[in-house]
Amino acid sequence: MIEIQALHKYYGSVHAVRGINLSVPKGEVFCFLGPNGAGKTTTIKILTGLMRPSSGRVRVGGLDVQTSPLEAKRIMGYIPDMPFLYERMTVEEVFRFTGDLYGVASGETEQALMRYFDLFALLEHRDVLVHDLSHGMRQRLIYACTFLHDPAVLFVDEPLIGLDPYTIRLIKDLLREKARGGITVFLTTHILALAEDIGDRIGIIRDGDLCALGTLDELRRRHGGRTLEDVFLGLTRPEGRP
Amino acid sequence: MSVAAAIRRKHVAHVVNGWRLLRSQPRFKVLFILVFATACEIGLWKLFADGFDFLERFGGVAGMIMARLFSLFYMGMFMMLVMSGIVTSYATLFRSDEMAYLLVRPLPVKLVVVYKFFESAYLSSWAFLFIILPFVGAYAVHLHLGFRFGLWTAVFSLPFLVICSGLGTIVIQCVVRWWPRRVGHKPLLLAAGTALGLGLWLAKDKVEAGEGTRFALSALIPGMRLSGNMLMPSAWTADGIQAFTRGEWARGSLLLAVVVTTAAVLTLVVEGLGRATFQTAWESVSEGGGRRGRPAAIFAWGDRVLGFLPGDVRAMIMKDVRTFFRDAMQWSQVLIFFGLLGMYFANLRTFHYDTYSPTWRNMVCFLNVFSVSAVLCSLGARFIYPQLSLEGQGFWLLGLAPTNMRRILLSKFALAIVCTGVVSVFLIGLSSSMLKVGGVQVVVSVALVGCVVLAVCGLSTGLGAIFMDLRQRNPAAIVGGFGGTVNLVLSLGYMLAAIVPFGLAFHLRAADLIDETFLHRSLGFSAAWCLLLTAAATAAPLVLGVRALRDRDY
Repeated sequence: MIEIQALHKYYGSVHAVRGINLSVPKGEVFCFLGPNGAGKTTTIKILTGLMRPSSGRVRVGGLDVQTSPLEAKRIMGYIPDMPFLYERMTVEEVFRFTGDLYGVASGETEQALMRYFDLFALLEHRDVLVHDLSHGMRQRLIYACTFLHDPAVLFVDEPLIGLDPYTIRLIKDLLREKARGGITVFLTTHILALAEDIGDRIGIIRDGDLCALGTLDELRRRHGGRTLEDVFLGLTRPEGRP
Repeated sequence: MSVAAAIRRKHVAHVVNGWRLLRSQPRFKVLFILVFATACEIGLWKLFADGFDFLERFGGVAGMIMARLFSLFYMGMFMMLVMSGIVTSYATLFRSDEMAYLLVRPLPVKLVVVYKFFESAYLSSWAFLFIILPFVGAYAVHLHLGFRFGLWTAVFSLPFLVICSGLGTIVIQCVVRWWPRRVGHKPLLLAAGTALGLGLWLAKDKVEAGEGTRFALSALIPGMRLSGNMLMPSAWTADGIQAFTRGEWARGSLLLAVVVTTAAVLTLVVEGLGRATFQTAWESVSEGGGRRGRPAAIFAWGDRVLGFLPGDVRAMIMKDVRTFFRDAMQWSQVLIFFGLLGMYFANLRTFHYDTYSPTWRNMVCFLNVFSVSAVLCSLGARFIYPQLSLEGQGFWLLGLAPTNMRRILLSKFALAIVCTGVVSVFLIGLSSSMLKVGGVQVVVSVALVGCVVLAVCGLSTGLGAIFMDLRQRNPAAIVGGFGGTVNLVLSLGYMLAAIVPFGLAFHLRAADLIDETFLHRSLGFSAAWCLLLTAAATAAPLVLGVRALRDRDY
């Protein structure tokens, strides 16, 4: 469902992504890990069409993100780490506006509204301005909007920042359920327990280079260590740091 | 539903919810802002109406000037709106959080660019409306023009706004896309720009020499000839409105068609540029991976120069300096404000103001003091007032540091004074020297501007602390709030109260209505009044600001 071939990205003289090759099949939860500044967000921005690669190819659902951006964007959902929401719109207005942008029929938007607003406990807040929502409620609204058009591929950058335990459980269950239903989930996180918990496969990026790829068991076998934390630290620890 | 309809619906929701938010605001605050805005509009109307009456008294040439004044006004608007278009388009296209949100949706980039371009035109239109309403009203009343004049002004103004914003958007799209980033390219660009400027200057001199006295009016009123040039969109607009008002339907329709088609063509150019270059340009602004700060050596030099200051004060000052210079939105606006004034002052002799009678030179000199002071008030409201609020979530760093709120506030106050003071005093010195006014007037002008700098910085810093809002990240919302409005009103009020007595004394003397002894007495009284007012306007907000910072919960 996601195909990355020889992906490179330069920021001036900085080589941020160094020839990544990766294939993520349909229905997989893929966890993309790496230290700060390793190239995770750059990769996800290229995958979502927000940035263009310096070289290499990226295909989502068989569509080239560079040559068929609209078709590719139509089948993907993206939840950034610092999402934008229209402060002066109500919860329901933001939801319906998202539906309009994706060309979802109003009947389907109505059904999705009932389903996701109920799931994320947004029904009683539907007339509240985004301006007045707490961080957790905003995150719930963003998830609801992202699922509205039934994306085939979901990109999530740091999915659990600032959420309460109840919402964390809700999101984890939902991502698992969506993956079982055939959605491909590509997520980046610093919470290694989350990757252990829901990741089918894990990729670790260091200095723009995909240095490890496999299931948790494969990574442990190949790189040593009892936990993902051991593997991660073993692979990414800078020289000289304890 | 089409995307365009969805965006339209989003804007309707914004307006409706904006009204909802407004109703939840304290009534006094809303009333205060409304009264201030209305008073400003009425004041501007009165100013324009008095100006027209004043011109009328001269007879002869004044009639010719009045006939061309409308074109001149539109030319001024044209230049202002193009500048405004450059700044607002940069903010809406390249710095808005909404852009990343829209770019990941299945929308063509060109559509997003056109949408943001219209948003930028809409944002620019507020200032346009605010100025054009009183001008057109006063002009129509003075010349006894009927309702049709207002109607045709409205019809022409819409495409005119699109043209101005379109030019601004095109300029900023090209600049961001092709601005040289490699070492060695910038000096090349600078050299090319200088050569172009020099070429234009020489060409201008040649044209002027060739025209002789054919267009004497343009020598009297700067910009008059350019405002009538039929290559200027402002000339089409002004001429078209007047043609329709006079009942010249054919000429009016032709000019309306020119304005509308130009607006349409510019929209197409914006769209085309958006499709071809926007993504690359946006990436170059938004990607931070390889960006380096300005040469650290400059800031290291600043640190050394400020070595005599205590470490915490120096650190806070240098933090603000770094932030300012690394934010193109901030320094570019200051550059535009002061740059335009600098260009105008440097050209005072080109306009032969130095050859005018003492009465006129005195008036121009005090008008220049007003200009610099008004720019100071705007800068105080736009940059100094919101700086504490913009510390935002980072304020904990200052709050927990082993320093105190008094030092934080005073360091911001001192930095504001140095930055605005140096430029303002230089500008007013330049103006006085160009006008060849007397020594006493030079001293008074410089001292007056010095007082305005002190008071505006004191008011803006102090009120910024009193009305600090750490949750708000949008500077426009901070400036447009209650505290921001109070700050602007008080700054403008102070400016008038401090400058008018001096200006009046010099004017009465120049008009021979008072003798030298009375002038000196008046100046002494004005100086005492100004000093007292400045001390109060500077110290009171700072003391209250320190108290507010100390007493609030973080």
